[in-house]
Amino acid sequence: MPWRRRPEKAMMGARRGRRAPPSVPPDRSGWIVERSLRAVVDLRVKLGRLSLKNPVLTASGTFGYVREMAGFVRLERLGGVVPKTVTHRPRAGNPTPRTVETRAGLLNAIGLDNDGIDHFREHHLPYLRTTGTAVIANIAGEDEDQFVAMAASLGDEPGLAAVELNVSCPNVSHGLDLGIDAAAVGRLVRRVREACPLPVIAKLTPNVTDVVAIAAAAAEAGADAVSLINTVRGMAVDWRRRRPILANDVGGLSGPAIKPIALRIVWDVARALPTLPIIAVGGIADADDALEFLVAGASAVQVGTASFYNPAAAEDVLDGIARALDETGVAAVADFIGTARSNRE
Amino acid sequence: MSDASCPSRALMRPAATVLENREVARDTFRLRLGDPEIARRILPGQFVMVRGAAEGTDDPLLGRPFALYEVQRDESGEPVSFDVVYLVIGRGTAALSRRKPGDRVAVWGPLGNGFGPSPGSGSALFIAGGIGQTPFLALGRDWLGRASYGDRPKPESETPVDSATLLYGVRSAGLLAGVEDFERAGIGVEIATDDGSAGRLGFVTQLLADRIQAGERPAKVVACGPPPMLAAVARLAQAHDIPCDVSLENHMACGFGACFSCVTPILQDDGRPDLRRVCVEGPVFPAHRVDWSRPSH
Ligand SMILES: Cc1cc2nc3c(=O)[nH]c(=O)nc-3n(C[C@H](O)[C@H](O)[C@H](O)COP(=O)(O)OP(=O)(O)OC[C@H]3O[C@@H](n4cnc5c(N)ncnc54)[C@H](O)[C@@H]3O)c2cc1C
Ligand SMILES: Cc1cc2nc3c(=O)[nH]c(=O)nc-3n(C[C@H](O)[C@H](O)[C@H](O)COP(=O)(O)O)c2cc1C
Ligand code: FES
Repeated sequence: MPWRRRPEKAMMGARRGRRAPPSVPPDRSGWIVERSLRAVVDLRVKLGRLSLKNPVLTASGTFGYVREMAGFVRLERLGGVVPKTVTHRPRAGNPTPRTVETRAGLLNAIGLDNDGIDHFREHHLPYLRTTGTAVIANIAGEDEDQFVAMAASLGDEPGLAAVELNVSCPNVSHGLDLGIDAAAVGRLVRRVREACPLPVIAKLTPNVTDVVAIAAAAAEAGADAVSLINTVRGMAVDWRRRRPILANDVGGLSGPAIKPIALRIVWDVARALPTLPIIAVGGIADADDALEFLVAGASAVQVGTASFYNPAAAEDVLDGIARALDETGVAAVADFIGTARSNRE
Repeated sequence: MSDASCPSRALMRPAATVLENREVARDTFRLRLGDPEIARRILPGQFVMVRGAAEGTDDPLLGRPFALYEVQRDESGEPVSFDVVYLVIGRGTAALSRRKPGDRVAVWGPLGNGFGPSPGSGSALFIAGGIGQTPFLALGRDWLGRASYGDRPKPESETPVDSATLLYGVRSAGLLAGVEDFERAGIGVEIATDDGSAGRLGFVTQLLADRIQAGERPAKVVACGPPPMLAAVARLAQAHDIPCDVSLENHMACGFGACFSCVTPILQDDGRPDLRRVCVEGPVFPAHRVDWSRPSH
């Protein structure tokens, strides 16, 4: 089987956006077939202290508390899962409608509806530990102290691979306030690193002038990785009713519509901070999307909104990555990451 | 929010075949999907999410929820396909109405809890507003003992209802869909229209009120339709101590519990409302559990 490394070719293909024809015809029967991997590609990735068996994760808030997805996805195959954000105390979230579809996108204002960290620990963690994949807890505090306290309390829990700090939810004010201030993000990451032995990921918002400055602060403070990006602020209006459609008026845009924005941010941060591992998130729905982010500089990807319209999307992305890399002659995904070159160099 | 998320038996079908998709009433289509396994598993009151997008395209992006209308079987009784009936409302349903036989669409299901077993001897009254009649054909056949659904055998002890009647309200006669299907299935149909173009002039809830007034005491009332209609039915049933279930049609994005779009306040044992996901804990709820003072979408 030819799986020699041909990095030059891989890079050229990626640069010109060429897509290798799939050697296996897509399953058109509509039946789920055994998706056995033919490929012999080393898919392991390392993000700071966090090691993953492959680069495919699921995005917080789009995969429930993971158990909802168990019938659709073989969880143990994924690189990891990120359950919905937990807060210190239970939160009811926003009134409905909480979501509305827009062209190639989804606007949401869920408002961090969750039962709080105690319930998470008692009810969700025991299940999450059985999933056979890396579990990354995503937390949001109302202020820095609350973030640190939550991270510290999760640090003692067995079965967690990392903690992701949601400093970027556009639907509650505090997260965004904190996440738009580079110094505040740096301080938070540093304190969480001191308080919690787990690898720390900062999930950043695109709703700022310069994501690079905030990512730099996170890197400086010792973040193991940054997740780029949370949703893009937006809104939808019903002109007949002369009202915004979301009960919250405004929300966060996700889905294919935001992929170019996420790609640009990943690219910028990867070039400015080449040693900071990046987890890309934003409109990733298939393997080509994921591979674009990987060559642009992401070490891993999260599948988000795509899971809503294809609950098997994360596994499809994983299979597609392995197949494409095999066909491209890439032996290890780690050698593929960040290999896209600028046209201006 | 909920703890109850038992492992779903839903299947993801990226490319189910459209066998039929034809207009059966004004802006109302009957879609037949050739997926034997979903057809074998699905129960009355459960739903599927269907994407209107043409295969391989992303517009519209998300699926839309539709209740099971009927299951088709081959000569040996094996399920081969299932139908949903839908009203064209917006972009999702408009796109779906353009799919032709032979096209493939993404569908996932069965989803939700379904209606549960027959209430036993006595009569069943189904109250439908607008396109809310769709779940009641399969339910009527099931409760009358004329068909069985799902891949688990019905308990021997389940007693069929003696009769089932659909009280069916629409804005105007052109929107009436599937009346013959119900009659053929042995389900009585009584109609109300807002404009008097068919059946009684007025709201369908008046048909229910009149029957109760006349002393009728159904074993169960089940309602599906716009929230104000559901609230009115729930009030009537409660006032006369008639067991009542409602099937809610909250706005959904995923249909399987991942997004928390579809939450609605459900009264808990202590009487306090708690937000629950309609797609996993519903869409069918006992009417007295729904917090009618706080409508959700
Ligand atoms: C469990 C369940 C079962 C359903 N069964 C059927 C059925 O058998 N037949 C049928 O015709 N319809 C059914 N519906 C309603 C159907 O899903 C919506 O009419 C459809 O999603 C509208 O999509 P659209 O893109 O055409 O409209 P959109 O452009 O999305 O919306 C147009 C309008 O419809 C409203 N709307 C959007 N989604 C929903 C929704 N899920 N429920 C109610 N209103 C909505 C919007 O708020 C908006 O005002 C069901 C809904 C649920 C939750
Ligand atoms: C309905 C919904 C809920 C979300 N909830 C959260 C959340 O609780 N915490 C979080 O960090 N991100 C949340 N996100 C953001 C996603 O994790 C992701 O960053 C974003 O949607 C972009 O990726 P996508 O385009 O692939 O969905 C949510 C997104 C959606 C659509
Ligand atoms: S529709 Fe997504 S949780 Fe109910």
